[in-house]
Amino acid sequence: MTGLVRVVALPVVSLVLVVGVLAVQLLNGGGTYEPLRPPDACAERPVTSRADGIDGLAERLVLLAVADAACTLGVSREALTLELAQRAEVSDSEVAALRDGLLAAVRQMTDDGSLPPASALVDEALDQAELNGVLEFAIRALPDSLIDSALTTDDVLIRTIEQLDVRSLLADLDSPAELDRQVEAAITEAVKDALLDRLRNLL
Amino acid sequence: MHRAAGPLLAVTVALVLADSAVVTLALPDILRELDTSVGQVAWVLISFNLVLALGAVPAARLLARGRAAGGSAVGIALFAGASAWCAVAGSIDVLIAARCLQAVGGALAVVGCLELLVRSYGERRGVAVWATAGVVGTATGPFAGGLMTELISWQSIFVVQVPFALLAVPAALAVRAVVPVVVGAEQEPGPESGPAPRPAPDEVAPDRPDVRPNITLALLSAALTAALFLLVLLLVEGWSRSPGIAALTVSVVPIAAIAAGPLARLLQPSEQVEVAVGCFLIAGGLVGLAIPPSSDLAWTIAPQGLVGLGLGLTVDRLTARAVQLRRPRAEHAGWTIGARHVGVVVGLAVLTPVFTADLQDAQVPAQEAITALVLDAPLQPEDKVAVAQALGGALAGEQGQVPDLGPAFARVVVEPAERPALDRLERDLDDQLERAATRAFRDSFLAGAGFALLALLVVLVPRRRRTT
Repeated sequence: MTGLVRVVALPVVSLVLVVGVLAVQLLNGGGTYEPLRPPDACAERPVTSRADGIDGLAERLVLLAVADAACTLGVSREALTLELAQRAEVSDSEVAALRDGLLAAVRQMTDDGSLPPASALVDEALDQAELNGVLEFAIRALPDSLIDSALTTDDVLIRTIEQLDVRSLLADLDSPAELDRQVEAAITEAVKDALLDRLRNLL
Repeated sequence: MHRAAGPLLAVTVALVLADSAVVTLALPDILRELDTSVGQVAWVLISFNLVLALGAVPAARLLARGRAAGGSAVGIALFAGASAWCAVAGSIDVLIAARCLQAVGGALAVVGCLELLVRSYGERRGVAVWATAGVVGTATGPFAGGLMTELISWQSIFVVQVPFALLAVPAALAVRAVVPVVVGAEQEPGPESGPAPRPAPDEVAPDRPDVRPNITLALLSAALTAALFLLVLLLVEGWSRSPGIAALTVSVVPIAAIAAGPLARLLQPSEQVEVAVGCFLIAGGLVGLAIPPSSDLAWTIAPQGLVGLGLGLTVDRLTARAVQLRRPRAEHAGWTIGARHVGVVVGLAVLTPVFTADLQDAQVPAQEAITALVLDAPLQPEDKVAVAQALGGALAGEQGQVPDLGPAFARVVVEPAERPALDRLERDLDDQLERAATRAFRDSFLAGAGFALLALLVVLVPRRRRTT
């Protein structure tokens, strides 16, 4: 073996091996095998739910609201979710952003027609509410058109959001029963207020 | 006994140098069983390497007064006793103390074995056998330790060393009985050569340590620490593979190291070219380990092959160059062992904080990725809440470590129709954790590659011409 070959052969072989290995890895995505990056909270994204009725509506509202609040606060939806879940104290700006986010979510769903009519939610609401049997029967007997003319979903939701104490709600995230109690109380108040306003308008 | 002495002494050298990294794959088990912290358990590795680094030259000086066989025998016996003590250690403090004692015995054993191997095989072959045993030990340590941990227990790593070491004690004494040699001799005694007139030690002017190969060895040891230590941690902690699977995976390194010999013989490079290429291959392999396209073990094979080839081309060459024909031989062996293990300690000292900090930093993107997947999962809202609550506990309880999400998912009860979606979510979340862990190890592997490139620089810097 000549002197030149002795000097060059092994370096050339090693260069081919190293470049070959690194090229194969890079061509197969090497260097980009990293955790998923959260998308921009301000970018529009489809929000769906596997649940129907009130649960599905609530899930979509919350997801839209958190994304809107995150956009307002300049963080990702995921970062805000973790922040709310892990921190005991929630700032005023976060509470305000969440409330605004919920209201914006209702407007968005109203605009895109994805809010169900009130009549579609009544039966489920009555199943969950502890009402007098006669009153429950009477409400179930009302025609859908009458319910929908008396109550609009967006109006009830906006009144509910205005009734809700968002800070207290966030403090009880680990307690589903307490959350239900607060939301139910807010919805009941909202429905009452909406019906009273409707009656006032009729009178 | 004399015929078996050489192989037994070579095995002893391999055992002692394997101990440098043999417990790497056992660290998670030790952490759990001895109920200690990550910081403390790292000292099981660091203490051994630090004491071996600091003790090698003093041990060599002790042996350089014609007490190679006796000193080696004492060192091997001490190593065996300390190994047994490691196996029965009931607390992390005791284990670290036993590891220090093991390193003291190991230092005496390794430098003494060099003298005895030279007596058995002659200068060139003796040094070559000693250096090769060291490379084999270094390369196979994590593999052997991982396999023992998986099949038996971490204690078995130490238990299995005892009989080998005990057999080597009479072997060391047998070499003394057959060939009385004055340390520092220039001639090459073979097994059949018998005693020959040699100059007394004080007649031979001591050679100065060869700085360049020792610095190169230190830097390469730091790089190899990155390759072996970090890779097994990534496999076990980051990618949740069992110690046995991790051990089998890293066995690529010793296999490739063995393949380096035939490659070098085929291409016949000069020594400097061989070492420079070895450094380059180790650097390239570490860059490859830093950028795997996925957590599939197959992606580690080729980069490990490069590291193994580099290891095979460099370490025994550099060791032989630092030791061969230098007097006192044992002291130069001590410098070499010291340099290598200082490199390991420096590697651990530099890389451990880098990857633990990166692992901490990886938590935020990992948690955000997990949150995104849970929020968008095709599950019923109440199931998402249940998953989120279970995961919250799992993530909070594993600060600085990669969490195991399996138990959290096992606690979530869903309708049978939801089970496929939940299983898919668990797989997706595990994938995100593996991505985060891989990303967290990237900078450390690249730092290891940096050590190898520094070693390459040391090799390539032209020698100063000596003026007479």
